[in-house]
Amino acid sequence: MRVEFFGVPRERAGVAELELHAETLGQLITTLANRFPSLGDVITGDHLRSSFVANLNGDRFVSDPRTQLGEHDCVLILSADAGG
Amino acid sequence: MTNPTRFGYHGCYLRVDVSLGSAERVPLTETVLRQFLGGSGLGAWLLLEEGNACLDALAADAPLAFVFSPLVGSPLTTSAKFAVVGKSPLTDRINDSLASSGFAIAGKRCGCDAIVIVGRAPELSTLIIDDGRVRLESAEDLRGTACHVAETTLKTRLGSDYQVASIGPAGEHLVRYATISHDGRHAGRGGSGAVLGSKNLKAIAVRGTARCEWAHPRELTDYSKALSKRSFGPATAKYRELGTAANLLTFNRLGVLPTRNFQSGTFDEAVSLSPEEIRQTHSRTRASCVACTIGCEHIYSLGDEKGVRLEYESLFALGPLCGVGDADVVLRASRLCDDLGIDTISAGGTIAFAMECVERGWLDEPWLSFGSGEAILRAIELIGRREGVGNLLAEGSRRAAQTIGHHSIAFAPQVKGLEIPGYEPRALQTMALGFAVGARGADHNRSGAYEVDFSDKVDRKHATVDAVHYAIETEDKAALMDSLIICKFLRGVFEDFYAEAADMLRCVTGWDTTADECRETARRIVHAKRRFNLLAGWTPEEDTLPDRFLDTALDGDPAAVLSREQLGTLVTEYHRQRGW
Repeated sequence: MRVEFFGVPRERAGVAELELHAETLGQLITTLANRFPSLGDVITGDHLRSSFVANLNGDRFVSDPRTQLGEHDCVLILSADAGG
Repeated sequence: MTNPTRFGYHGCYLRVDVSLGSAERVPLTETVLRQFLGGSGLGAWLLLEEGNACLDALAADAPLAFVFSPLVGSPLTTSAKFAVVGKSPLTDRINDSLASSGFAIAGKRCGCDAIVIVGRAPELSTLIIDDGRVRLESAEDLRGTACHVAETTLKTRLGSDYQVASIGPAGEHLVRYATISHDGRHAGRGGSGAVLGSKNLKAIAVRGTARCEWAHPRELTDYSKALSKRSFGPATAKYRELGTAANLLTFNRLGVLPTRNFQSGTFDEAVSLSPEEIRQTHSRTRASCVACTIGCEHIYSLGDEKGVRLEYESLFALGPLCGVGDADVVLRASRLCDDLGIDTISAGGTIAFAMECVERGWLDEPWLSFGSGEAILRAIELIGRREGVGNLLAEGSRRAAQTIGHHSIAFAPQVKGLEIPGYEPRALQTMALGFAVGARGADHNRSGAYEVDFSDKVDRKHATVDAVHYAIETEDKAALMDSLIICKFLRGVFEDFYAEAADMLRCVTGWDTTADECRETARRIVHAKRRFNLLAGWTPEEDTLPDRFLDTALDGDPAAVLSREQLGTLVTEYHRQRGW
């Protein structure tokens, strides 16, 4: 599946997107944390910190680490706060 | 005059009649201050007290209030703010626009909690308030000058200890969405600058020495230090590191970036306008308002000595909304709006609307086409001076549509006359409700309902009545923040905002305020704004969106459709839950 970073998560990861394999959102986030230690202030354990959110395929926002992911899904990691 | 409150307030406001050149101090009771706090809340109360809701917004007797707050002058981060409250010449409804920095502190040091201005000066003037003493000086030599030029000139002339809020040429020409500018920031929305211009005031200069005491200074200092420390954390990282412009790529990816007058939710050239891209080609510095630890302002160079503050709303309105993908043009357009004293959202919205009218053959200005950088710069200049088609566009999209006809009002991107900010309502439907019911029209600062849409609490493309209480919650919270006043960019920092708001008030005023009282105060303020609107002629039919957004899916996203019936249900439920 594809992971896309936006805003601060992109700054921390240093890449805009990458390909990963994970069966659940929690697995994906844990994998990201291991691969990018610089995401420490974005990720805690198997979920995102409160200032960040995940979106599935540009449509639905998801937070439950048990959320099932498919091979062709695209997960967006972005700042929760959209004000401006 | 006895100060009934002792702490945090002066217990009075200064009422200035610029027709007569006179001023009086009017007492404010502790009950009023505790019920309405300051900023937007106290401003709404003052307008109701003045009792002229039916007057034309630009009439001499229509009041314009500059309102401070109990927190102004305290060590609390982001508290150096003031609200400008009056009737909007754009919406004919209540308008409260906020700005930051030294003007708030110097204005409060004049020994008052608000300055209410009525009347019309005999010539273009500067209102000078020196420790509460009031005089008018001719500003005829400043006629036509940019906001920052007027401010710098007056500070040089009067002394650097004065803080100045001024209008640009747009305010002088009564552009209905003219701003009031201070230190590069703007009380931007709803046309307060035109109201000041209608009073023949180019600027207000304030300085003073009156200071308020704090009820619990040691606790206040400790709390302030802790809050400042928290303000450096991840909740504000986006603002600090990229600025609000960071929204652009995210919104584009989610299909909620309004493009070409809301004809699309994505913009092909978005990457070229992103802060990630602009910083590769334009040097950048950061700045903060006085007494702010967040530092959200990102100022980009245009190769000369004066940089351009770039916010998401300016970027979206002067870029994708008008089909413009050239970062240099957007930066120049943003600077031009700042110099002329024009709200960038309303400018972009009105110009984009005009571009669509040209495209449809309803407006004979062939040069005014989507994507043309030259056109947007020319249009802004014309609006600021009310020249040519600029005279029509200076009226805002709603009035322009009424003149153009062809039922173009269906495409005018506004609610109650206020142009819609950069959130596509069909794909952010809790926000759509927030826009529809907003007291000052479509507005992202008075309703942060987009926060719920960007969460797993609601389905953003199929809002149900479950979304209503979220919209109410965010509107109430904004009302309290705008009355305390503290910056909304802090909101992610608070674990329990109402409890912390009560704590701030207790430290400053000594009141035994509770979180529940703060919630009640927030609701009272929302109700006060509505009461003004009712007196000004509000009807329930105003709480809606233009036809473009109803019953037709967003281009390229068939799921993003909001039916008229669905919005009607949400609005009715909102009114019911509000008890209206």
